[in-house]
Amino acid sequence: MSFLDSVKMALRSLWSHRLRSMLTMLGIIIGVGSVITVVAIGKGGEAVLTSQFAGGGNNTFEVYYMPPDEELMDYDAYDDVAYTTEDLRAIQEMPSVNQVIAYAYNSTNVVYHQEAAGAQILAINENYYDLNEFTASSGRLLDNRDVDNGRRVVTLSTGVVEELFAANDEAVGQIVNIEGVPFEVIGVHERENQSFFAFQVDELLLPQSSWPMLYGTDNMDMLNVQANSADDIQIASHAVTNYLNDQSTLSGEYQVLNMEEIEQGISQVTNVTTMIIGGVAGISLLVGGIGVMNIMLVSVTERTREIGLRKSLGATRGNILLQFLIESVTLTTIGGLIGIMLGAGVANTVSLIAGWPFLVSIPVVLLGVGFSMFVGIVFGLLPANKAAKLDPIEALRHE
Amino acid sequence: MIHLKNLDKQYKNGDQTLRVLNDIHLKIEENEFVAIMGPSGSGKSTLMNMIGCLDQPTSGEYLLHGTDVASQPEKELAKVRNAQIGFVFQQFHLLPKLSAMMNVELPLIYGGVKKKERRERARLALEKVGLEDRVNHLPNQLSGGQKQRVAIARALINEPSLILADEPTGALDSKSGTQIMELFTQLHHEGATLIMVTHEQEVADYAKRIVTVRDGEIIKDRGHEYVVPR
Repeated sequence: MSFLDSVKMALRSLWSHRLRSMLTMLGIIIGVGSVITVVAIGKGGEAVLTSQFAGGGNNTFEVYYMPPDEELMDYDAYDDVAYTTEDLRAIQEMPSVNQVIAYAYNSTNVVYHQEAAGAQILAINENYYDLNEFTASSGRLLDNRDVDNGRRVVTLSTGVVEELFAANDEAVGQIVNIEGVPFEVIGVHERENQSFFAFQVDELLLPQSSWPMLYGTDNMDMLNVQANSADDIQIASHAVTNYLNDQSTLSGEYQVLNMEEIEQGISQVTNVTTMIIGGVAGISLLVGGIGVMNIMLVSVTERTREIGLRKSLGATRGNILLQFLIESVTLTTIGGLIGIMLGAGVANTVSLIAGWPFLVSIPVVLLGVGFSMFVGIVFGLLPANKAAKLDPIEALRHE
Repeated sequence: MIHLKNLDKQYKNGDQTLRVLNDIHLKIEENEFVAIMGPSGSGKSTLMNMIGCLDQPTSGEYLLHGTDVASQPEKELAKVRNAQIGFVFQQFHLLPKLSAMMNVELPLIYGGVKKKERRERARLALEKVGLEDRVNHLPNQLSGGQKQRVAIARALINEPSLILADEPTGALDSKSGTQIMELFTQLHHEGATLIMVTHEQEVADYAKRIVTVRDGEIIKDRGHEYVVPR
């Protein structure tokens, strides 16, 4: 008897009990479907988190000041953190460093006629756009000529514009007061690729060169460094922190957010979560398998006479075993395929809503199919063996 | 063709041993039409199963075409059943979800015959039993007599050397029963070897030879010169 004939026979028998076959598959469908969904969502979430924390992977790391433990909760401990022009120049000249992205910030009021709005002011140069992409929704963005010439110009975020002006285009060309100094509004900016979790901050961007006019210092508060390449990140971060700690008179220490460690941490967390939820889904697959075994046992009992007849017509134990095994494997494999489509559909919907990448990988799909076939074999073996061992005379007499 | 020698069959039921067949000697030649008769519990069904290679004797020999099939492993017995023996049952035992054609071709599937040839031979077999216009009918669309004729077509399809019928008319009305017996008679005239278990004298009379079994022993063998040696 050919294998193809066995498969056809199994399909015909499953088709003749369509409703039952469908219900039996349900356990496998849900099991495989949830495994695919969970793994895809886990991978998508990981990709999003990683890209957010690692700054899109442009080899940039952030330097921050860590006070000694006893001063950790003390806000003043951070006040003396400052990167001087000499510091920035020295860091810029390190061989592993591509560019320095430093900025100063403060919170203050911006005033237009009688209206005032609270906002964060950032003193930047053009390098800052490498940390985050910006677009101008009206007017233009700051450029290096504004910085080099110390122009008193500013761009506002949409939130600030909404508080001070009636419409976007009304803002451009107007004069606003910051700490009593007049600045010309040259544009309205928006941050691109805002992350899923970030909230919009009311902020102004103005040239670094105008910072001393407001606060009497050209020291910067925040420091990001872009290394030449991914391989240079470690070298650069060591060089930068060593330099800063040597210069420092503070009791704390300069440190670097290590993106590699963060990435590993994220992927560990998501992996563990995926494994836990995947394990629960795996249990539902197990329950589905037991359901298949159950139905196959019922089917063997129901078809005792058929088995007796087939044996009397010349079917060997092997033929009968194969027939029932193929039936259970076909059930679970079709169930697995439907589950994969369902899971991919759900994962796709979730990724569309959340704006995540859609990550259903071929290995996971193959694993899903393979595992459901495996479940079919394991849980089909007992019923199939029971059928194969039936005594033909007894079986033919079965009522 | 069939030669049973000193055939014993015992069943163990707890401490008791039940002797169902007791020292059976039987020879059946090619193209014989034999009826096996006996009251229920006489062992005639067990004898039938033994001849059909569905059961194996506790001791003794069963020579089919000169080879001892009693000692063969299960797989070989399945092959013998497939190639040499065609079964006809009282309850027809057709698979309800398969058409007449598909029911008839089942033995050929286990015999490893290709689909095209299977179809061709199944059609011929159904023609032979007069059901050429019922090829694609399901069993529940057929009358009892037609079902039994499908079963006979299935028994014939592998051109077996022996047809075994177990109460073939037991579930039929007398008219259909007569038609089935006429079909058997025709097959006998065409050269088939037939063994039939029945407890109806009227049906047994179609056979040329009647073997009577009681309490596991052959007590009468009418119509045959072969005398049971004791």
